[in-house]
Amino acid sequence: MKQREVVIGHRLGLHARVAAKLVQLSTKFKSNIVLFRAEGTAAVEADARSILSILFLSAGYGSKLGVRAEGEDEQQALDSICDYLAAD
Amino acid sequence: MSRERLIHGVMASAGAAVGTAVRAFDPLFISFDYKIHPEQAAIEVQRFGSSVEQSREQLKRMQAQLKRRSGAESSFLIDAHLLILQDRLFVDRIVSKIEADHINAEWAIQQISDELFQAYDRLDDEYLRERRGDLEDIVRRLLHNLSSKKTPGPKKRPYDAILVGKAIPPSTLFELRAQRVVGLVTETGSPLSHTAIMARSLEIPAVMGAHDLSSISSGELVIVDGNRGIVICSPSDETLLEYKTRSNDEKKSKKKPLPASSPSVTEDNVRIMLGANINFSEEVTSVVANGCESIGLYRTEFDFFREGGQPDEESLVADYSLVLKAARGAPVTFRTIDVGIDQKAWDGVNTNLGVRGLRFCLENRDIFKRQLRALYRSSVHGPMRILLPFVSTVDELETAHEILADVRAELAERQEPHNPSLHIGVMIETPAAASTCDIMAPLVDFFCLGTNDLIQYYLVVDRSDRTVMHLYNPFHPAILRCLHQVHTLLQPTGKSMTVCGEMAADPPSAAVLLGLGFTSLSVSLAAYPKIKRMIHSVSMSRLRGLAGEILKMHKHQEVEEMVRKALDLAPARH
Repeated sequence: MKQREVVIGHRLGLHARVAAKLVQLSTKFKSNIVLFRAEGTAAVEADARSILSILFLSAGYGSKLGVRAEGEDEQQALDSICDYLAAD
Repeated sequence: MSRERLIHGVMASAGAAVGTAVRAFDPLFISFDYKIHPEQAAIEVQRFGSSVEQSREQLKRMQAQLKRRSGAESSFLIDAHLLILQDRLFVDRIVSKIEADHINAEWAIQQISDELFQAYDRLDDEYLRERRGDLEDIVRRLLHNLSSKKTPGPKKRPYDAILVGKAIPPSTLFELRAQRVVGLVTETGSPLSHTAIMARSLEIPAVMGAHDLSSISSGELVIVDGNRGIVICSPSDETLLEYKTRSNDEKKSKKKPLPASSPSVTEDNVRIMLGANINFSEEVTSVVANGCESIGLYRTEFDFFREGGQPDEESLVADYSLVLKAARGAPVTFRTIDVGIDQKAWDGVNTNLGVRGLRFCLENRDIFKRQLRALYRSSVHGPMRILLPFVSTVDELETAHEILADVRAELAERQEPHNPSLHIGVMIETPAAASTCDIMAPLVDFFCLGTNDLIQYYLVVDRSDRTVMHLYNPFHPAILRCLHQVHTLLQPTGKSMTVCGEMAADPPSAAVLLGLGFTSLSVSLAAYPKIKRMIHSVSMSRLRGLAGEILKMHKHQEVEEMVRKALDLAPARH
């Protein structure tokens, strides 16, 4: 299991288009990928393959998210998801 | 189990009802809960699965077309939809729901999407909240695809349903009557909207203008109290018991007969004509059984558009003949259809300064002529009058007469039996008609006053807009003067005037009408007994004196207070 923190770099946050791309990216890996909010009381986790759960994370620009990957390609998955989220 | 919650709205249709909430985010796609046999669950899962598959194919086709036309730019919108269709938060939970609760696919979709809609509504980000539109779109598509492959076998609805939605069109409410819909809660609308009129006519308790309905989930137990304008969600056992007892009492009192079907006369022996308003042909029977002397207003548009499409001439003739036969000699005033063809325009949700009533009929002459032919052809079965709604100029009236003459000539040529001398009337409901009724009089056999619209247009108060609803008031001095003027203008013409708006259905304002000289009223069957009682208890000479007094007053509060005092009623709550 690997995990890392990442700051959302997309100007509009995890909105429809970004969320859709994220799901499409996540399905390329075998590992289970989970996003979670590190701060705040509304501790929520999101399955990176579920567009609804990503939207409900309501992660805006600059918010800090944890990313956790578990599976045979976890390192690769983590790198590529974090790169995508941090990019603008 | 959630705690009891109270939601406030306005009273739109009296009575109270207990049932499970059925949310209608789109009135055309309302799902109901059917309990299915456990063994049937697999079939329902399969139905759901193939509807998902069909939706996916439709979306993919759409996406391919979109890509050819406009590049990839907008096709990401469809991506979002496709991704929802494979989202385990949505799809997997619907499947488990069907399997665990043994319910039909539609109801499982409804319940899961309700939860997701609530999650959307809780988001802080406005843009993200708006994304619920994507899910609504998907749900509509799924339900539509399911509708072609219905759940097989007999279906049982375990509970009465309370419809909960932003706005429910009157036609939907009517069609769902058979689905055990016993109550209605909406965010928009008002007691004067057509949906409210429909609810009252179907005797379905309704609360409208209720804010924050998002907390109500499909399947939650709710009480609609149309007498107090409140909705109680997840009621406690005590509350439930209280309402159940009350509803039994109400059922008992409903069986009490109306005051004798003798004519309505005031204490000082002035004869008042009291007719009944109906929206549906089926109501005629109960109107006649209750001893009402006439049907003062039959709003034909509800039956006309009942099936969604448009009826042909023959079926209209059959319907109207049935109405007249069922009326057993009581005269029936048929108001020609008062709508724009767009249902939204006749939900009372917009201000209606556009094409409606006679304006609509003159623009859609084929529909108008078809209805008129059917009316004339049915007229051999009983006394009938034809009433034209929403007239604002003499020109319109002249054109209508030309069309009426055409229709008569056509029927004569076809040698269809009909009564060529039917009385033709005008509904006074625009300020223009009110101030020029004497000019219209030579072209008209009788007049009716539609006070709901007249007040709305005269006071410039949209009757469905809750922010201005408190300004809608039948006791406004402007309304009293307007009615007084109409009466003064029409009296020398000798043409009859019947008031058939809500103003005639509430004892204090009805008493004002009597005082102003209007001796013919028409009200819904629900209001009939109380108005009849009021008539029997008042003296016309006293009411005339009262009218003289209130016409001098400056404020509606003073007017209402004085009228209520004269009728021995408790003061109004403001």
